[in-house]
Amino acid sequence: MTQENLHVDTLVVGGGIAGMQSALDLADQGFRVALVEKEASIGGKMIALSKVFPTLDCCSCITTPKMSAVAHHENIDLLTYCEIGAIHENGGGFVADVTKKPRYVNEADCTGCRQCEYACPIDLPNAFDMDLGAMRAIRVPFSTAVPQKAVLDIENCILCGKCEQTCPVNCIDFTQQPEQFQIEADAIVLATGFGLTPTDAKKEYGAGQLLNVVDALTVERLLAPTGPYGHVLRPSDGKEPDSIAYVQCAGSRDTTLGVEYCSRVCCMYAIKQAMLLSGALPLADITIYYMDIRTFGKGYEQFYQNARAMGIEFVKGKVARITEDDDKNPVVRVELIDEGSQIVERAHDMIVLSVGMVPGYNPQAIYGVPIDASDGFIEIPSPNIAPTVTNHEGIFATGTAVSPMDIVDSIVMAGAAAAETAAYLQSRNGHSYKLPISGSMEMEVAHV
Amino acid sequence: MMANRMDPNLLIDLKRYGEKGAVNIEACFNCGNCTAVCPLTSDDHPFPRNTIRLMQLGLKDQILQSSDPWLCYYCGECTETCPRGAEPAEAQMALRRWLTAQYDWTGLARKFYTSEVWEIGSIILVGVLIALAFIFFHGPIVTDQVELNTFAPVDVIHIGDWIMALLLLFFLLTNALRMHNFIMRRGTKTKIPLAAYASELWSLPYHFATQKRWATCEERPSWISHLLLVSGYVLMLVIIVFFLPWFQTDNVYPLYHPQRWLGYYATIVLLYGAGRAIWGRLEKARQMHRFSHASDWMFPILLFTVTLTGILVHIFRYAGLPMATYVTYVVHLALLVPMLVLEVPFGKWSHLAYRPLAIYFEAVKVKAREMEQAELAPATV
Repeated sequence: MTQENLHVDTLVVGGGIAGMQSALDLADQGFRVALVEKEASIGGKMIALSKVFPTLDCCSCITTPKMSAVAHHENIDLLTYCEIGAIHENGGGFVADVTKKPRYVNEADCTGCRQCEYACPIDLPNAFDMDLGAMRAIRVPFSTAVPQKAVLDIENCILCGKCEQTCPVNCIDFTQQPEQFQIEADAIVLATGFGLTPTDAKKEYGAGQLLNVVDALTVERLLAPTGPYGHVLRPSDGKEPDSIAYVQCAGSRDTTLGVEYCSRVCCMYAIKQAMLLSGALPLADITIYYMDIRTFGKGYEQFYQNARAMGIEFVKGKVARITEDDDKNPVVRVELIDEGSQIVERAHDMIVLSVGMVPGYNPQAIYGVPIDASDGFIEIPSPNIAPTVTNHEGIFATGTAVSPMDIVDSIVMAGAAAAETAAYLQSRNGHSYKLPISGSMEMEVAHV
Repeated sequence: MMANRMDPNLLIDLKRYGEKGAVNIEACFNCGNCTAVCPLTSDDHPFPRNTIRLMQLGLKDQILQSSDPWLCYYCGECTETCPRGAEPAEAQMALRRWLTAQYDWTGLARKFYTSEVWEIGSIILVGVLIALAFIFFHGPIVTDQVELNTFAPVDVIHIGDWIMALLLLFFLLTNALRMHNFIMRRGTKTKIPLAAYASELWSLPYHFATQKRWATCEERPSWISHLLLVSGYVLMLVIIVFFLPWFQTDNVYPLYHPQRWLGYYATIVLLYGAGRAIWGRLEKARQMHRFSHASDWMFPILLFTVTLTGILVHIFRYAGLPMATYVTYVVHLALLVPMLVLEVPFGKWSHLAYRPLAIYFEAVKVKAREMEQAELAPATV
């Protein structure tokens, strides 16, 4: 089966929480939407998280209904495992060249029964679990993946054919090739998300070589009910850590890493994880080394105060160096600013780097949408009055593609992008539409 | 109780003591990274963040009373890892210049550090005065053979030497006394008994000669190069102040004579040390050389040219070139005298006194505290 060309009202790029929300908000208004996701499942980074702050709601419980809604919405064409190569303008609209990567599984026939996965003899580090657990060369990406379709990692496959023999519906196809197709759309919403600042960038923090220094997303997987171990265990020897420390601003607000901005979410996720760890390991000491605690949202400051009251230790001082003792315990060196400026070296069983957010994707070459030279995120000319309107007419942006933000803000912004896009689409049907941009940026758009 | 008077102009003033853009402490948000990476910081003297905080707050008196900037040797690790690019190491360097100017009661140090016209002009002025003195008052010029001691009689030069040394010592000691008053009188609540001064006195020559604290930093080659440099100039200082008649001679000695090989040793280490400093500042490869204030250039360049002209006098004399010897000798002194009278008490070279003194004063304070506690402690347990 080959993918046909599509004609839709809006192309949404990215199937994380922001892209899903924009797609749903547009589809609910009757617009045709194509949602393109480069991974084999939608859900983005959010589906990998354990719980959300400040309510400590289960992340899966919030995300999976939206994933299902996207998959089943009659106005949404969901295109996973697809990459956009180029976008051309086409008489006021856009044409996107899309490549559908081969899953080596016939998507229409696969039932997600996982028989192939059980038969596969190849074990690989589980990418979804931050390489902690194991996965097979052919697998459904993760338990709550949408769509529930298998995908084969041909790089690591030995072509033994066990999956093909096992599959009850004969949907394994080793001969699949990449497919090219086009999507015509009147408007585009960019929800390309973020990446994490790399843990190996800072040599003072062991340059990624210290086994018991992990990033926060790894801890999310350790804490998640669907995680690799069902327990919080440290990587080097599988011991239950008695003492866990968070190093704040490990990837943000640091000119030596080229990331000068605050990533906005790290204080809150560290506090959240500290609380969850207190639940998972009631006897463990948990310390957060910070420069400033920034709890700006509704209920966030109370959340922080609760954490303090729970006995989580907050230490003011930026960790200058992380080394390792003979037992592979990471050791932090820090100035205790609030305790008479003493310099101390403290060993912990495990250290979590509160890594920051960096742009996950550079859309400049593909969409002609400029990025902000200062941080690499998509440039928004009037962020205060039109936070989702890019420099390019008909292209809107939302979520962490625009700047670091938390889930709450991403969802709010996704709704805003959908509203903005809807108004723009209506203008093409004769309604007048004025971009909410003032001053010299003002432009009247009317397609009659 | 110490008064916490704030000087809102302090930072503006401090910026004049660094190269443009080098003092950048407004960028600092006091995360403490610099203090934690510093190999020399201690619980008694946590720096550089604390001094930077004082700079930000304009607490001039507290900075004056602090010896911390002198305890830093600019390895640059703090600057390298500073998450804000606030240049903490350069801030310590600017503070050392500022403190030198504050210790100096004549106000000349301030002029030299904040105005290149003053700095270069004063060196040219003193140099020209020396040259003029030779032009008008030199001895007979013998041209058929080299007779340096006829052209510039060593007895007269030696007297001039002593006058210069006493002058220099007077200014340096009075400035050091002011430093003592800031740090030891205003800067401590503990009463310091004379016995404490006496018992720690050994540390002064010890740290002067070894710069042991610097060796704790990771910059080992720089420390060795500096140590050699110090040995060279101390040697030359002792020779020209106490043994000039032995050193400035028209005799031709064999190579194994100490007058020759001691001179050669000093020449080699001084040229190497000063040359390395100049080259480092041109190359800007190491943290400590990224910013160069006018005073950072002046000192090694003078030292290098003084040594170079000194060895040239020797070469010309042994080569039997009378005029070349005499002219080079005048140039040598026209560089040497301003270097000594201006750089030692008022310039970058004053660190030869302030660094060991700072270490000494801090050791005395610790000793005084120990003695006080011993007195307060019950005689029997």
